[in-house]
Amino acid sequence: MANSIAIGLAELKVSRNPDDVLVAFGLGSCIGVGMYDPAVRVGGLLHAVLPFNSDTKELSPKYVDTGIALLLDELTKVGAVKNRLITKVAGGANMLNVSSLSSSFDIGNRNIEAMHATLAKLGIKPKSEEVGGKIGRTVRLYIATGKMTLRMMGEQEREF
Amino acid sequence: MSDAKQKQYVDKLQQIISHGFENAAKGFAGMVGQMLQVVDSKVCAVSLQEIANTLGGPEMDAVGIYLRVEGEISGQIMLILPYQKALELADLVMDLPFGTTKTLGSLERSALAEIGNLTGTFFLNAVSELTGIASRPTPPAVMVDMVGAIMDVIIATMGRVEQNVLMFQSTFAFANRETNADFWIIPDPETLEKLKLAGEGLNG
Repeated sequence: MANSIAIGLAELKVSRNPDDVLVAFGLGSCIGVGMYDPAVRVGGLLHAVLPFNSDTKELSPKYVDTGIALLLDELTKVGAVKNRLITKVAGGANMLNVSSLSSSFDIGNRNIEAMHATLAKLGIKPKSEEVGGKIGRTVRLYIATGKMTLRMMGEQEREF
Repeated sequence: MSDAKQKQYVDKLQQIISHGFENAAKGFAGMVGQMLQVVDSKVCAVSLQEIANTLGGPEMDAVGIYLRVEGEISGQIMLILPYQKALELADLVMDLPFGTTKTLGSLERSALAEIGNLTGTFFLNAVSELTGIASRPTPPAVMVDMVGAIMDVIIATMGRVEQNVLMFQSTFAFANRETNADFWIIPDPETLEKLKLAGEGLNG
């Protein structure tokens, strides 16, 4: 039986239980980063809200930069190896369709930039990206297989 | 702030926003041509996580009508309702029989945007009447998506400031049609300070 575990805002979870499905529901401007090591079948999912953490003391999953670092850390602790990780990312939409509002609130794009910069710094290249646009996304990571899926409003779940 | 002062402050805010919501409801009612009730308007502090869990969870299909408030006071206004209810509201505004609107095209979206515009303006006018502080709404944005994605707009704006967000919440319900909408006002932190000072000048 699949065991669905919701990853809320500013949260990350790592699992090695093949029954687990990690889910980040309704990502808008937020970014979901999934990492999976197929050799040891361990995976983790991050739901980050904002691009960069200015507080160097607290490594919070709320931010893309420190969130990715924490995710990698947690995965390594349970046996994953960085260069085996399959990384997929989704989110970073610009939800506001009014030009007078969107220019000053383009958090989505800034989150995408932060994600690219952070992954590049760590030497990780995402295998798949579904970012930007104006649409919300639900992301799932199946621990048993490492499959990652997307679902948009009114659409079927599909692998990416 | 002492507990007694804190309570007094919240009471004053409550007084200001209740007046605002009632006036907003009048604007809303004027547009849809029906009386409606303001249910349960309150001042509350919610966590970022709770915001995304409104209306039955972050993956629910919903419609959000969003405005920024600019001027002496600033903040965000969000009118959010389940997708199905938004279709019914579009019927109501365009004076069509229930069930006519099946999708939200540009006409329906602009009708919903107009509701946001009117409701927001009426709310701000009422606040201004009571406090003497002027402000104006930006043009509204209409979002049709999952609740979580819609609420990210508020969360991204407030999230850098704090984990808990103080906001004013109300529900509008129509007497003879069960369409309801959640109406949220999220003042920017510096605005709360101004409202507090203005509130101290009020009686009661």
